Amino acid sequence: MSTKKTTFLLLASVLFIAPALILVLQSLSKTWRFQAGEGFTFSLNSYQTLLSDPNLWTATFWSFTVGSGVLIVNLIIGILTGKALAILSFKGKSWVEVLLLTPILIPVLATAMGLHLFMIRAGLADTAAGVMLIHLVPTIPYSIKIFHNSYNQMGRLMLEQPAILGASPVRQLFTVELPLMKPAVRSVTFLTIVISLSQYAITAIIGGGRIITLPMVFYPFLDTANASIMAAFSVWFAALPLLMYVMVELLMRFLPYSQTLRRNRT
Amino acid sequence: MKKILITTTILAIIILTACGNNESQQPSFNETTEKDWSEITTAAEDTTVRIFMWGGDEGINQYMDDWVAPKLKEQYNVTLERVPMNTGEILQKLQTEKQASKDEGTIDIIWINGENFKNAKNNGLLAGSFVDTLPNFNEFYQTDDPAFETDFGTPVEGMEAPWGKVQFVFLYDSAKIDTPPASIVELQEWASNNPGKFTYPNADDFSGNAFLRHILYAKADSPADIYEQPLDKERISETAGEVWNYLNQIEPDLWRSGEHYPNSLTELDRLYSQGEVWMTMGYNEARAESLIDEGVFPETTRSFVMEPGSIGNTHFLSIPFNSSNPEGALTAINFMLSPEAQLAKLKPDYWGENSPISIEKLPDDMKNKFQSVERGNSVLSQQKLEESFLPESEAEYVEWMKEQWFDEIAQK
Repeated sequence: MSTKKTTFLLLASVLFIAPALILVLQSLSKTWRFQAGEGFTFSLNSYQTLLSDPNLWTATFWSFTVGSGVLIVNLIIGILTGKALAILSFKGKSWVEVLLLTPILIPVLATAMGLHLFMIRAGLADTAAGVMLIHLVPTIPYSIKIFHNSYNQMGRLMLEQPAILGASPVRQLFTVELPLMKPAVRSVTFLTIVISLSQYAITAIIGGGRIITLPMVFYPFLDTANASIMAAFSVWFAALPLLMYVMVELLMRFLPYSQTLRRNRT
Repeated sequence: MKKILITTTILAIIILTACGNNESQQPSFNETTEKDWSEITTAAEDTTVRIFMWGGDEGINQYMDDWVAPKLKEQYNVTLERVPMNTGEILQKLQTEKQASKDEGTIDIIWINGENFKNAKNNGLLAGSFVDTLPNFNEFYQTDDPAFETDFGTPVEGMEAPWGKVQFVFLYDSAKIDTPPASIVELQEWASNNPGKFTYPNADDFSGNAFLRHILYAKADSPADIYEQPLDKERISETAGEVWNYLNQIEPDLWRSGEHYPNSLTELDRLYSQGEVWMTMGYNEARAESLIDEGVFPETTRSFVMEPGSIGNTHFLSIPFNSSNPEGALTAINFMLSPEAQLAKLKPDYWGENSPISIEKLPDDMKNKFQSVERGNSVLSQQKLEESFLPESEAEYVEWMKEQWFDEIAQK
C-alpha cells in the first residue's frame, strides 16, 4: 500500500469512522461518564425510550414521505431548469441565475413567515404538500446549480447528437443524459434528503403539528444531558438518508447502459 | 420577460397584503365558558384535543402519553394528542394565523408561562378567561394564591390554569462535598477552597439567569425589595453594584477561571455528569431523580438551597384564540388539574414534579396519598422547600440582568 493510501485511511478512520463508532457505542450504553472514571455499561435503555415514543413511527413515515416528495420535485425542476440554463441563451440570463440562487441567501425562516401567511390563505398550511413546498426553498437552488454544471460539462455536442439521430427529448433524457449525470443525481439525492430531513423550525410552523417529522421529535432532546438518548436518535436519524440513498441507487440500475457504464468508468 | 416578472411581483404583493387584518373578535369562547360544566364535558365527548408542548423530557412525554392520555380517554372519551413543539414556534404559528384570520386552528392547549405568556396575552393569542369554569380548580386550588394571579408579574386574569410548580435548587455530589454552602458568602468561600469546581450557565440561559436573580435577592436588604417592586434601575443600582462585585470576585475561582461560562444548563449538567464541576442547579427540585436513574448523574447527588431562599414559579396550561375544540380543551385541562392527575405527576415514576394543588383542600385519603409520596433521596423535604420559597420577580428583571451581566461580567 502506498503511503498516500495509508495516510488517507488513517485520517479517515480517525476523523470519520472513530466518531461514528463512538456514537453507535454511546447509543448502546448508559451515558459514558469517562472523565468521572466511570466504566462503560452496555444498556439498551436509550433504544427502548426511542421506540416507546408514540410519535417515532409517524415521524419517520412523514420524514420519508416529505423527503421523497421533495427529492422528486427537485429532480424534475433541477433537470429542466439546469438544462435550460445550460443550452439556451437569452437576455438577462445571468439575472435569472442569480434570482434562482436567492432562496439560499435569504434566511429560510424569514421566507417561511411570509409563506405561512400565504399558505394559510391557499389552504396549504398544516398539510404535507405545504411542508414539501417549503422544503423546496432551501433545496431547489442547489439542485439547479448541480444540474446546470452537469449539463455544462456534458457539452452541447453530446446533447445534439441524440437529437440528430431522432430521439425524442424523453428518450434522450433516459438514454443519454441521466446515465451521464449519475454523480449529479447522487449529489442531489443526498443533499436534498439531508436538508429536508433536518428542517425543524419551518416544518414546525408550516406543518403546524399535523405533519410531525423526525426533527420535531428529536430536537427538543438536545436539551438533555443524557447523551445516550441523543446518540440513539442520531443513529436512527442517520439511517433514513442512507436508506433513501440506497433506494435511489437501486432505481438508477434500471437506467439503460448502467452495467456498461460501470465497467467502463474504471 | 421583465414585464411578466414585474407584474407577477406586484400581483404577489397585492395578494399577500390585500386580504389583510380583518380581526374578528369571536365571542364564542365566552359563551363556551358560561355553559354548564356537564354540557361542556358532553360536547367534548368523542373529540380530539391537541396539546402542543415542549417535548424534550421523556419523563414528561411518558406521563402525557402513558398516563394522562389513556385516563382521559377512559373517563371522558376524549382523545389527547401530544404534539412536540417549542413554545417559541407555537407562538409564531399563532401569530401568523392571527394575522391571516385563521379561526380554525390546530392547537387546543398550550403549555406556557413567564415571558411567553406575557407575549401571547399582549398579542391576543389566547382565548380568554376560563379558569373559573374548571370545577377542579375551584374545588382543590387556592384560587386567590398570588402565584396563580400573576405570572412573572403579568396578571393572569384567568387566562391560564396552574398545572405545576417548580422550585430552583442546587445539586451537589455528596461523595465529594460533606456540607454544601448555606449562603452565597459560604459559596464564595467554598469556591475559593475548591477552585474550578463551580460555575453557572451564562445569563442568556433561563437557569443561569435565575442564578443571577438569586444573588440579586441575596444582596438586597430583603428579597421582597425585588419581587414586590417593578424594575427601577435607580432604586436598585446599589444592590446591583454589589451583585456584579460579588460575581467578579468569584469569577477567578470558577471553572476555567471564569474565562468561559457554559452556554446552557445542559452544558453545565454534562460537566457535572463528567465530574468536571461538583455542582449544578436548575428549576424543578426533583430534576436530579430521573437523571440519577438513567445513570447520567452520580447516585450520590443531593440538592440544597441557600439563604435567603430559592425562587420558584408556576407553569400553566392555556387555550389559544383559535382552538377548534374549546370544550375538549377545558375538559382536558380540568382533568390535568385533578388530584389524581397531580398525584401521578408528583410520583417519581414519570415526572416527579410538585403540584400547585392545596393539600388541605383534598379529601383525607387523597391527602394521605399526597403526603406519603416518596420523591427520592435527592429531593429536599416539602417543609424545607416551603420555608425557602421565594416568588419570581417581574419579567423585566430577567432581561435587565441579562444585559447587565454581559456588560459587567462577560466583557471584562
